[in-house]
Amino acid sequence: MERQIINKKKRVFSLEPNKNPSAVFTRKYTSHLVPALKKLNMNKNSSKQTVKHEVDMALALSAQEFAWSRFLLQKLSSSTNPTTTTSSSDGIQILERSDKEGGNEEGEIEEKLRELQTLLPGGEEMNVEEMLSEIGNYIKCLELQTIALKSIVQDST
Amino acid sequence: MGGESNEGEMGFKHGDDESGGISRVGITSMPLYAKADPFFSSADWGPVVNAAGGFSSSHYHPSMAMDNPGMSCFSHYQPGSGSGFAADMPASLLPFGDCGGGQIGHFLGSDKKGERLIRAGESSHEDHHQVSDDAVLGASPIGKRRLPEAESQWNKKAVEEFQEDPQRGSDQSQKKHKNDQSKETVNKESSQSEEAPKENYIHMRARRGQATNSHSLAERVRREKISERMRLLQELVPGCNKITGKAVMLDEIINYVQSLQQQVEFLSMKLATVNPEINIDIDRILAKDLLQSRDRNTPTLGLNPFSGFQGTIPNLCTTTNPQYNPLPQTTLESELQNLYQMGFVSNPTTMSSFSPNGN
Repeated sequence: MERQIINKKKRVFSLEPNKNPSAVFTRKYTSHLVPALKKLNMNKNSSKQTVKHEVDMALALSAQEFAWSRFLLQKLSSSTNPTTTTSSSDGIQILERSDKEGGNEEGEIEEKLRELQTLLPGGEEMNVEEMLSEIGNYIKCLELQTIALKSIVQDST
Repeated sequence: MGGESNEGEMGFKHGDDESGGISRVGITSMPLYAKADPFFSSADWGPVVNAAGGFSSSHYHPSMAMDNPGMSCFSHYQPGSGSGFAADMPASLLPFGDCGGGQIGHFLGSDKKGERLIRAGESSHEDHHQVSDDAVLGASPIGKRRLPEAESQWNKKAVEEFQEDPQRGSDQSQKKHKNDQSKETVNKESSQSEEAPKENYIHMRARRGQATNSHSLAERVRREKISERMRLLQELVPGCNKITGKAVMLDEIINYVQSLQQQVEFLSMKLATVNPEINIDIDRILAKDLLQSRDRNTPTLGLNPFSGFQGTIPNLCTTTNPQYNPLPQTTLESELQNLYQMGFVSNPTTMSSFSPNGN
């Protein structure tokens, strides 16, 4: 393997891979998800619901330092029929409502902030400032999650 | 020495615009500790600690704004004092309160430093802004919430919230109090903030021409915090650089989050259909992950270490390429090693078949 490495050109290595949170998160995520999927696989029971559950669970477990992940874990562990984190239909409704308000800008902004809160797991229980910073983390983790999922799916097709 | 507050012998008083604030009793007691180590016993530090706790940054900076040797002393403490509410230079003194006296003696060890303290205190405050910036930079650890806040304060703006660490998911509650003397001293320079660390406050001064009602002040601070966060989010969400205005920005964020969630759901559905045939090769997945995630190296909110990384391991690599965007295997080898350690990779021979392009 050393020889293979030496033959490669133009590689950049990180001295401290554990310090790069993207890599850390992705590694954690896949290490949670893949065994869970294998277990599911073996049980021959891979309904959409269960897989989604595992996916969410892996997300929550890989991002333990954020508040939203704790909320997500709570949601997942407390319900056998887990609520999904997608609330697209609700979102659209709220948006329409704010349009009807007649252009009251403050109100619109408030409405949108509230909608963001519904999107974020546990968002309703945070105040606005907290929520905004949590949303940032959440977005980043969602992006990493989609990348990981894409890789897994591609890999198995 | 008149007009001293009840804050102890150091006589630090906040809200006082006199530049001679330092040159009071506080200074006279200082020479004592320059001379002898016994002064560093905890008993003697008591008043210093209390005074330091209540002290106004604007006056104290000169005295604390020592050269690097002094600052490096202070930076030593910050991990220890987890309370994290000190915004300013005096924050670097706060650790004294947290540690025992013995450590303090060890901390401010030499006579020389003591002397410098005194001299700095007695000198004028002309460049205290600059010095304080240096000092803050020197002393600011990642762990403390408010030190970078002090930086922005010295830029003569109102308090802004800075990027938080990922570990600090929730805000600490803050109370904002307007300084009573601000009405007399309101000018463009007076928008500094002070902090009483014990009570976790931020003292705000009203800027010129703005309402000095404490409610509107708090409201303004809150609004600025929110816009700060929105700005960070703007960098995070792709394609939002040209957008101005909260409402549109929020719309974009909402749409982006929704689309990400839908993507996840779609992918998991796909995974469910594909699942029975999964023959997962972790190392290949990770290689692809790293490849793609590196391409999206966007600045992130509150995730300070998320910035791009590059480094070379001389004994392993051949040449390095300054443009790292298309490079796939930045941490690959070490990632694989980590996986090994996790006991996760069951088939070591797969590693040898691994190609650099992640095919």
